Amino acid sequence: MLRITFRVLFCVVLLGRVALADEVAPAPLTFEAHVRPILKAHCWHCHGEGEVLKGSLDLRQARRLVRGGDTGTALVPGQSGESLIVERIAAGEMPPGTKKVSASELATLRAWIDQGAKTARPEPEQFIPESDFTDEERNFWAFRPVSRPAIPKVRQTEQARTGTDLFLLAELERHNLGFSPEADRATLIRRLSFDLIGLPPSPEAVDAFVNDNSPDAYELLVEQLLASPRYGERWGRHWLDAAGYADSDGYSTKDLDRKYAYKFRDYVISSFNTDRPWDQFLVEQLAGDELLAPPYKNLTPDQSEKLIATGFLRMAPDGTGDGEVEPQAARNEVVAETIKVVSTSILGLTVGCAQCHDHRYDPIPQKDYYRLRAIFEPAFNVPNWRNPAGRLVSLWHDEQYAQAAEIDKQKQQLADERLVVLDNVVAEVFERELLKVPEERRESARAAKATAADKRTPEQQQLLKDFPPLNVDRGSVYLYEQQKIADHNKKYDDLAAQLQTKRPPEEYAHCLTEIPGQAPATRLFVRGDINQPRDEVTPGEPSILCGETPAAIPLKSEAIPTTGRRLAWARHLTNGKHPLVARVIVNRAWMHHFGVGLVSTAGDFGFLGARPSHPELLDWLASQFVENGWSLKQLHRQIVLSTAYRQSSVRRTEHEAVDPENRLLGRAPVRRIEAEVLRDTVLAASGRLSGQIYGVPVPVAPDEVGQIVIAVDTRDSAGRPTGKTVSLGEDEFRRSLYVVAKRSMPLSLLESFDSPDMRPNCTQRGSSTVSPQALFLMNNDFLLAQSEQLARRIQAESSTDLASQLRLAWRLVCGRGASDVQIATGLEFLAAQTAAFAEGMPPATPDKPATVPDPALRALANYCQALLCSNRVLYVE
Amino acid sequence: MSQMIGSRRHFLATQAMGMGSVALAWLLTQEQVRGEPPKPVDVPKSFTLSPKAALAPPQANAMISFFMQGGPSHLDLFDNKPELQKHTGENFPGEIKYDNAAESSPKLFYGPWKFAKHGQCGMELSELLPGLAEVCDDITLIRSMHTGVNNHGQSIYALNGGRPTAGRPALGSWLTYGLGTENQNLPAYLVLTDPGGLPVLGVENWHNGWLPSLYQGTVIRPQEPRILNLDPPRQSPEGAQRRFLGLLENLNREHLAQHPGEHDLAARISSFELAARMQTSAREALELSQETEATQKLYGLDNPKTREFGTRCLIARRLIERGVRFVEICTGNQTWDHHGGIVTGLPDVCARTDRPTSALIKDLKQRGLLDSTLVHWGGEMGRLPVVQNEKNIGRDHNTYGFSMWLAGGGIKRGCVHGATDEFGHKAVENVVNHYDYHATLFYLFGLDATKIAFPRPTGLGTILDGQPGQIVSAILEKPPGVPQAG
Repeated sequence: MLRITFRVLFCVVLLGRVALADEVAPAPLTFEAHVRPILKAHCWHCHGEGEVLKGSLDLRQARRLVRGGDTGTALVPGQSGESLIVERIAAGEMPPGTKKVSASELATLRAWIDQGAKTARPEPEQFIPESDFTDEERNFWAFRPVSRPAIPKVRQTEQARTGTDLFLLAELERHNLGFSPEADRATLIRRLSFDLIGLPPSPEAVDAFVNDNSPDAYELLVEQLLASPRYGERWGRHWLDAAGYADSDGYSTKDLDRKYAYKFRDYVISSFNTDRPWDQFLVEQLAGDELLAPPYKNLTPDQSEKLIATGFLRMAPDGTGDGEVEPQAARNEVVAETIKVVSTSILGLTVGCAQCHDHRYDPIPQKDYYRLRAIFEPAFNVPNWRNPAGRLVSLWHDEQYAQAAEIDKQKQQLADERLVVLDNVVAEVFERELLKVPEERRESARAAKATAADKRTPEQQQLLKDFPPLNVDRGSVYLYEQQKIADHNKKYDDLAAQLQTKRPPEEYAHCLTEIPGQAPATRLFVRGDINQPRDEVTPGEPSILCGETPAAIPLKSEAIPTTGRRLAWARHLTNGKHPLVARVIVNRAWMHHFGVGLVSTAGDFGFLGARPSHPELLDWLASQFVENGWSLKQLHRQIVLSTAYRQSSVRRTEHEAVDPENRLLGRAPVRRIEAEVLRDTVLAASGRLSGQIYGVPVPVAPDEVGQIVIAVDTRDSAGRPTGKTVSLGEDEFRRSLYVVAKRSMPLSLLESFDSPDMRPNCTQRGSSTVSPQALFLMNNDFLLAQSEQLARRIQAESSTDLASQLRLAWRLVCGRGASDVQIATGLEFLAAQTAAFAEGMPPATPDKPATVPDPALRALANYCQALLCSNRVLYVE
Repeated sequence: MSQMIGSRRHFLATQAMGMGSVALAWLLTQEQVRGEPPKPVDVPKSFTLSPKAALAPPQANAMISFFMQGGPSHLDLFDNKPELQKHTGENFPGEIKYDNAAESSPKLFYGPWKFAKHGQCGMELSELLPGLAEVCDDITLIRSMHTGVNNHGQSIYALNGGRPTAGRPALGSWLTYGLGTENQNLPAYLVLTDPGGLPVLGVENWHNGWLPSLYQGTVIRPQEPRILNLDPPRQSPEGAQRRFLGLLENLNREHLAQHPGEHDLAARISSFELAARMQTSAREALELSQETEATQKLYGLDNPKTREFGTRCLIARRLIERGVRFVEICTGNQTWDHHGGIVTGLPDVCARTDRPTSALIKDLKQRGLLDSTLVHWGGEMGRLPVVQNEKNIGRDHNTYGFSMWLAGGGIKRGCVHGATDEFGHKAVENVVNHYDYHATLFYLFGLDATKIAFPRPTGLGTILDGQPGQIVSAILEKPPGVPQAG
């Protein structure tokens, strides 16, 4: 038992590491393959990369180790005991700081020296860091072109339905295993529904599928789900994680709202629903603006959409709208975080650390980082920065501008009038307060007040100090004339609001655009410090990816008014030959279907990431994906129509013994549903779920204790609750992806179930099992209210027979019928709870009817709640 | 057994993966997390509420803060000014900043309450605080507090978060972040709110700011359910929730039987068991019937005037006894903001709070808890020496000089520190700024206010945020640098 739990622990925490461990060190050891990565990670920062070598010691080549530094040779081949480098590391003196060389790394180093300190091949005399990649780096699987592997032969051909199956089966057979039996129909429809639309199937849909005897029932169900608008919401949410979608700016504590970011969310949803080809989807997100010509005026819906798509590059935190932040650092951070979003989501690479120094593990020199940055430099344009509001592009046409101008004129007139009236009140109050001043000083007081504050004589200042109420002004007059000013404000606020309704609503694209003719130079920042710019770099992809066909990225395109750098790169990424782009998205899709990707680290395909469990399958899927026109829906079909996907999730002894982590996929996984799916599922069961698609986000606010709930914020200006509630109507029950993603106010229910923290994005969610979740499910108002709602629904839709009610509860919540034993247990429970609730109830009197629901309803609600928080609901089998 | 160990480790591992949570997120059993490094890591890699050792031996290991929001009048409670008495009714001679211009007046005003010296230390206190007078030999009174930001919100931000700006972590969040908590079955940071409503800034007063939400304060409400999400639903009779949990476990075990070896399903079952234990612990801590009649009387539970506040003071002691790190007791919205009606208003709130407050000091002391529990009493400001609204006498805001007191946890006994000017307007002697207060407080907990930090986009965030916070050695029993006996 213990062994299994530990393995699960590893599975959760250390998946990547386990795969790596298999690859460690078959002798003979070479510098390039075994030692260089250790030295690169721990030592090169001081002994290699810097402008000055510490102790004149360079550890980038074996022969330079032998040559040594100020204290002599660092390495005596064949004698690790005589080698200074071993001595210093073993003594804990090197590297300085808290991050030390591990025991196994040191053992590798020793063993390499004792074997004679071999290199795989002669070392060059010169290096140029950007091209000084070892063959090991160049040949790393993720940087090699995608292959088109031959479909493997299997023995159990009857078990295979798709190409996917053949690859998986071949691997299983190598371990003398095969697929598990197919799951039952009720399990399958539930699994498919959660995977493809993120919602449970309705009881009717379950019945129809379970009783459908046609040979293509399963295929039809898949098509039906892929055609549902709910599909785009479900899969759009996955991409929004990777893109780091948020409705607020983050960075500083102000966390200002991004009012129009939701249009990007809607673009993503509609892209998935229409199966926008992935290549087009990426080009639009990276360079949609460059597909149009500035100025962006009177845009057609299609043109607007292309601008909105670049919202992808505007998702990173951006504190530059907050006047209190240090602007240079904040601007730089926007660019740096955007590069993180782009590289982890599209390339599956963590290039971020190369901002300060050469990447410690991956072959990404610092210069390459800045080459990548140069692609985005003209649009972000740090020297001529535009803050978030300044980057919005209006979607109005000329006629709306004209209408707005007319209304604005009227609003200005109203504002002028309002001030005149207010000034009259100030004057009245002043005259009244003046009466409290001795008559002989009144004229002087009047003169003092009329004089500008900084021009007053000492006598005038003293006079106003002696009679402080004379200091009445526009700002303080409300303290003197509370009712009058309140009425005044209300009158003019109402009038202004009336005018506002006549103004066309504001419509903006939250997007990234480039100003033609502006393309500041990109310079490498020494140690990532913006105050230490060094050599200028030209735009380009990381060199290691260039291979035979490097991306041709112009400094300035001749074809379009903007630089065209992003467009050129986007076209390169989607030319079908890029080693990472297709692999990364195919792997992401796989991860969402099976819980774990073929590469278990979906955001890191580099050296520290995991190796693919089925490299050929990954390549086969990636190449198929490109051949099928980059169609994601086609990719889903490849996966969900397979035998592998349809397996039962029950563990089998023979399989457990060989593959307890289920990397071979000899069964379906059991997965906890995500935060949003949990909330949506509860609402679907209670019947309250709103089907409204797209649009402005649903607001959140703190409740009286500080939990974030769905509500209009009605706190007063001092942050106190006013007790007012504003009904949101059906919007309260919209799907969770429509709840505003304000970084400083994550919805508590979602947060406790691991909703992503967008700093800056999330390529892979955690899935925790902790007791606060249990408390939430037991006692939270949302669960209680929806359980009661579900109970009412059941009473309305079922007969009064309690057993029928329980059966309906099971069908609505669990998507399957209940056994007789379960019904019997349920009936006992209902009887006992009904009696207990009846006993605890205050007696109703004629003038004071019972305010709580009747005991039978409460008991049923209680039963429903137990079902809702049971593992049958929290997990997909 | 082995399964249990495995699942606990699993909880921790998953928690460490970045689980944030709401007010109720505190972590599991203690024994699993003792293996942390002996020194606090200034920026922990994972966020838990497991107890962490302080940097230096702490003098305080828990704190109770009386947050007297609104601005108690130091001039009428703590800081007697003979010059003010002498010149009452005359115009104030210097510069003064009014918050309310309409009712402003330059006339000096000496309150109608008598001051007298108390205790062996001879601390001068107003007759409105007879309870405090009885324990004055146990406290340090600071008469030279200063934040310099003249409205409620900003000054609360300064005193509670370190700077007069929104969005920063509250003091209780910092302490639980730095030290974790001793009792994993209770929230680490609890706030007892007043039936009279939330103070100014509402829920921001216990917000974790940019620290993980694990460190947010959990509110104990004045009405049922006392702790949201932790207390069972309203009017849930005894046994009903037990039956509910029984049904749930039954459903889950039956389901698990169909998925043998599926570890997370088993862990989920354990998580509900643990949740139920937490629920019981919280209930037990709030249950005052176990207290003796003498204790109940000490806190004024027999008196309608003091019962409500006394109940909260007594709960605070029970929480501290059970290992809670930080407890805040609030008075309601602007209770102490006496712009007008001070002549009746101030005696009223003192009568409601003074006896229970001093009872808490006495009770902590007699139980040997005062030495390790830092008690703080204060608002976000004091009041002006001039009158506001002569028709209904009051005083306007003053954050340039005001008083607060501290006791226990390494604070000197019977000590008065600092002074305001002759009229009690501005702190002039041994001025204690909000950041000095924070540096001192962290020191008492064995922490360094410049070092406990959280990574932010703009660099490491600390409570001092670069302000020159000085430890106020004069109010400490064992100031820094003095070797500690024994």
